[in-house]
Amino acid sequence: MLPILGGVFLGWSLGANDASNVIGPAVSSRMLRFTTAATMASLFVLMGALLQGRSGIDTLSGLTRMNLHQAVLASISAAITVTLMTIGRLPVSTSQAVVGAILGIGLVNRHIDMTGLGKVVTCWVGTPVGGAIMAMVVYRTLAIVNNRLSLNLLESDALLRIGLVVASSYGAFALGANNAANVTAVFVGAGHLSVPSATLIGGLSIGLGILTFSKRVMVTVGSRLVRLDPFSALVVLLAEAITVHFYTFVGVPVSTSQAIIGAVIGIGLLKGIRTVNKRTLLSILSGWLLTPIIAAALVLAMLRYN
Amino acid sequence: MRFLFRKQRMVKALVEAYLDNLRNVQQTFSRAIDSCLGDDASCDFRTLVDETHRFESRADDIREEIKTLMYSKVLLPESRGDIMGLLESIDQIPRFFEIVLNIIRTQKLAIPDLLVSDVRELVSVSMEACDLVFRQVEDLFQRGRRIPELLDVIDKKESQCDIIERRIITTLFDSDIDPFLKIQLKELVVLLGDVSDQADRVSKRINIISLKRRV
Repeated sequence: MLPILGGVFLGWSLGANDASNVIGPAVSSRMLRFTTAATMASLFVLMGALLQGRSGIDTLSGLTRMNLHQAVLASISAAITVTLMTIGRLPVSTSQAVVGAILGIGLVNRHIDMTGLGKVVTCWVGTPVGGAIMAMVVYRTLAIVNNRLSLNLLESDALLRIGLVVASSYGAFALGANNAANVTAVFVGAGHLSVPSATLIGGLSIGLGILTFSKRVMVTVGSRLVRLDPFSALVVLLAEAITVHFYTFVGVPVSTSQAIIGAVIGIGLLKGIRTVNKRTLLSILSGWLLTPIIAAALVLAMLRYN
Repeated sequence: MRFLFRKQRMVKALVEAYLDNLRNVQQTFSRAIDSCLGDDASCDFRTLVDETHRFESRADDIREEIKTLMYSKVLLPESRGDIMGLLESIDQIPRFFEIVLNIIRTQKLAIPDLLVSDVRELVSVSMEACDLVFRQVEDLFQRGRRIPELLDVIDKKESQCDIIERRIITTLFDSDIDPFLKIQLKELVVLLGDVSDQADRVSKRINIISLKRRV
C-alpha cells in the first residue's frame, strides 16, 4: 500500500491544481461558496473516475514499461512538479508532469511507445486550441438561446446560477474521468493496481486535493487572466468540460488547465484580445513548457541518487 | 420561462412595493404643486409636504429591506450591484420632490402668474417621464422588451423639459420681478428640471442593465 502513497500525493496535487479549472470561475465570480463548490466537485470527480476513468489509464500505462519502484518515483516527481507550480499559483498540466516523468523513466529503460507518445503530444496541442474553439462555439450558441429567451433580470440570474452549478459538476465529472489516469496509471503499468482500484484511488485523492489546497490557483484562472462576467464564466466551464470529456473518449488524459485557458482565450478573442492579460498568459505558457522538463529531470535525478 | 426562486420572488415583490410607494410620493408631490399653482385649493400644501416626506422615508425603508435580502446572497453579485445601483439612482427622484417642496415651504415662495402655465407644463412633462421610468423598471423585472422604446420616449420628455426650463428662466429674467426672488425662482425651476434629468439617467441605466443580459 505504501508505494500507492506516491500516487495519492500526485492525485492530491492534481486536485489542488486542477480544481480551479472546474470551480474557479464559479468561486471567483462569487457565484458559489468555495466549500460548497469544492465538496460538489470532489463528489463528481469521484463519479467520473469510477465510471469513465479506464481509457486514459490504458493509454498511459502503455507508454513505457516500468517496475513498481520506478512507478513510485514517477508519480512523486510529477506530484512535486505540480505542487511547485501550485505554490507558484500557476495552473499547469498534470498530464504533462506525469508524461514527463514517464518519459524520464522511458529514457532510462530505453523503451518509449512512440505511437502512444505521439497521440498524447498531439492531444496536448489540441487541448487549448480545442478549448478556444469550443468556447467560441458554446458562446455563440448560448448567446442565441439567451437572446431568444428574452429573460428578465431575475430569470436570467436564476438560469445562470443553475447553469453554473451544472457546468461545474460536469467539469468535475470530466476531470475525474480524464485525469484519474494521471494519478494511478503508472501503478497499473507496473502491475501493482487493477484498473477499478486505480480509478477509485485516483478519484478519491483528486477529491482530497480539491477540498484541502485548491484555493490558490483559483484566483489566477478566475480573475487574473481575464475578468469573467457570469455568462462568460458559464461558457468557459462548459467549453472546458466538453473538451476534456471529448479526450476521455479518445483515451488520452489531457490538461483541464490547458482546456480552460484555451476557453478563456477563446472568449477573449470573441470580445477583443485586449481583455486578455498577456503577462499572466505568458507566465502560464512558460509553466506549461517547463512542467514536463522539470518532471523528467526530477525523476532522472531521483533514479540516479536511489 | 417563469421559474423563480423564493427569495428572488421576494426581491421582485419588494421592488414592486418600492415602485408603488414611489407612485404615492409622485402623486402627493403633484397635488402639492397643484395647490401651489392654485389648481387645487382643497389641498393643504403643508399636509401634502409632510405626506411626501412620509412616503419618501418609506421608500428608504423598502430599499434597505431589498439591500438586506440581496446581501443574504440571494442573487449573483453582478445582479445585486445592478439592482442596488438602480434603486439608489431612482431614489434621487423623490429626493428632488422633497427638496422642491421644502424650498417652497421654507422660503415661502409663490409662483408668479406669468410663470404658472410654464411651470405647470414642466411639472406635467416631468411626471410623465417619471411614470415612464417606473414602467421601465417594471419591464426590467418582467420581460424587458419595451425598455429601448421607453428609453427613447423618456429622452424626448427630458429634452422637452430642458426647453421649458430655459423658457421659464428667460421669461423670469425678462420680467421686472425682484432680482432676489428671480434667483430663488430660478433655483426652484432648475430643481424641477432635475427631475426629468434624473429620470433620463435612470432610464439609461435600466437600458444598460438590460443590454448586459443580452449577449
